[in-house]
Amino acid sequence: MLSVFCYIKEFLRPEWWKKFLFAKTPPLTSPSYFRDYPHLTGNECTHELRCMMICPSPGAIEVLKTDDGRWEPVIYKGHCIRCGLCVEVCPDNVLASGRILEQNETDRTSYLSSYRLNVDDSLCMRCSNCSVACPINKVIDPNLAYNATSSSDDVIMRVKNSKLTILHPEKCTGCKTCEKTCPNGAITVARIVEGDQDEE
Amino acid sequence: MKKTVDVSLPVGPVHPCFKEPARIKCQTTGEKVLSAEIELGYVKKGIERIMVGRPWQEVMFLAERICGICSVIHNMVFIETVEKLSDINVPKRAAYLRVIVNELDRIQSHMLANYSYCYTIEHETLAMYLINLRETAIDQLELITGARITCAYMIPGGVRFDLKENDAEKLSFAMDKMEKDLIRFTNMFESGPLIGLRSKNVGILTREDAILSHAVGPTARASGINADQRTNHPTYQELGFSPIVMDSCDSYARVMVRFKEVFQSIELIRKCLDKLPKGLIRGGGVVTEGEYTWIGEAPRGELTYHVKTDKYGRVAEIAIQTPSIMNIEACAHHMLKNVDSAADVTSTFISSDPCIACNER
Repeated sequence: MLSVFCYIKEFLRPEWWKKFLFAKTPPLTSPSYFRDYPHLTGNECTHELRCMMICPSPGAIEVLKTDDGRWEPVIYKGHCIRCGLCVEVCPDNVLASGRILEQNETDRTSYLSSYRLNVDDSLCMRCSNCSVACPINKVIDPNLAYNATSSSDDVIMRVKNSKLTILHPEKCTGCKTCEKTCPNGAITVARIVEGDQDEE
Repeated sequence: MKKTVDVSLPVGPVHPCFKEPARIKCQTTGEKVLSAEIELGYVKKGIERIMVGRPWQEVMFLAERICGICSVIHNMVFIETVEKLSDINVPKRAAYLRVIVNELDRIQSHMLANYSYCYTIEHETLAMYLINLRETAIDQLELITGARITCAYMIPGGVRFDLKENDAEKLSFAMDKMEKDLIRFTNMFESGPLIGLRSKNVGILTREDAILSHAVGPTARASGINADQRTNHPTYQELGFSPIVMDSCDSYARVMVRFKEVFQSIELIRKCLDKLPKGLIRGGGVVTEGEYTWIGEAPRGELTYHVKTDKYGRVAEIAIQTPSIMNIEACAHHMLKNVDSAADVTSTFISSDPCIACNER
């Protein structure tokens, strides 16, 4: 019996009637702070590949060359989990998603990343595929060839004294070309990321 | 004593009242339930195995995806473990923002649990009201973090986004509205005679049984055990937190503890907004080699993470202990013993707020 009164009391509230009479579904629009899939802002991509390296979801983002010769990140929506790390890490603000960019600007936050190269000596067979394929090595020393005939020590890595030696890991941009070309999976690239905020 | 079993009654694995698949096998004589067994294993993900060998950036998001209902606390406990093992300090403002987001997540989780209970005892009106109220909490999560469920808010050394000026006002306005509605709904639950018939003195878990079966979270607190991991958390200690305990030990107490904890969460959020210090939200810090175990309080109870990392910041070992398995144990062995009606099986099971996705990692 008491519950009947409860219901009657509930239905006699003017707020309930207001809701009942003026019910209208608002049009479906995403709010400005909603973190959607990343989209391009129009800034020029400088092919630093930081978005690819920080992305936690495999195969969600790829930086490809367009027909007119510019680099452009492509998001595969089936793989993307909308974490927004690629937006936050890009130094040129190529991507945008929600209000991450303006938040980063007001908070002065950014990610600093560095890379470490790790060689497993028991797997490495000194073929120097990695040293030859590395795009940074090619720029520094175009003469670097198989069996590491180059004598330059400015390169990131080369075979020295019949052992693959990492000489300058700080020059690595983390493109993982060495990891892909290694036939034995002996070399791995690890990224070290530090979230940072400037003080006023 | 020998039990005379008439019918072995299966409930589930797919049942309209269950959020996730689980199977209950009941032994019954007539309407009376003598004992029950609960079977899991329908949605095993193998996520702990996937985590090993990946850098923390990937594990952070995988940890969030263990459970869709309490995703923030998984993120928070993993990040706190990683911070502790590599000695990273968190700025004061970031610690308070973490508490705000965590409490919003607790509100939405408790609202879903209570919605589920009300739906199971077939009070659909109240269930509908509660699930609408949950939307308010989720909207606030979206306002702060930009996403509704998998927020990815915390990183080692701080949080990712700051509150804007309007955000704090919007948040406190929403808290006022939510409290006003919640008082009405709690009164409805307390005074409803039919709700009382279905929930009072049903599914008794005594204090001794709760200790025996290691029940945690609201299930344990409804049985008179004063246990809450938030009392060990430094930020909650600053806010003057004390857990809510009831001692009527039945389904009603378990639901009421959750209602009262939502009021407490609203108070905590208000305190955080009042005390919110100015300054940085993100300090620097690199994840280094180490090993640590840290316990946090998920909406359902204690959540333990044991993490070991290598020198590149990759996770070498990880072990996660989620709260629900002990509550399910308590439910199977103690709550579902001598239940008077087969209709109360599902409602008793749901009142312990089982999270199957958390268990089947």
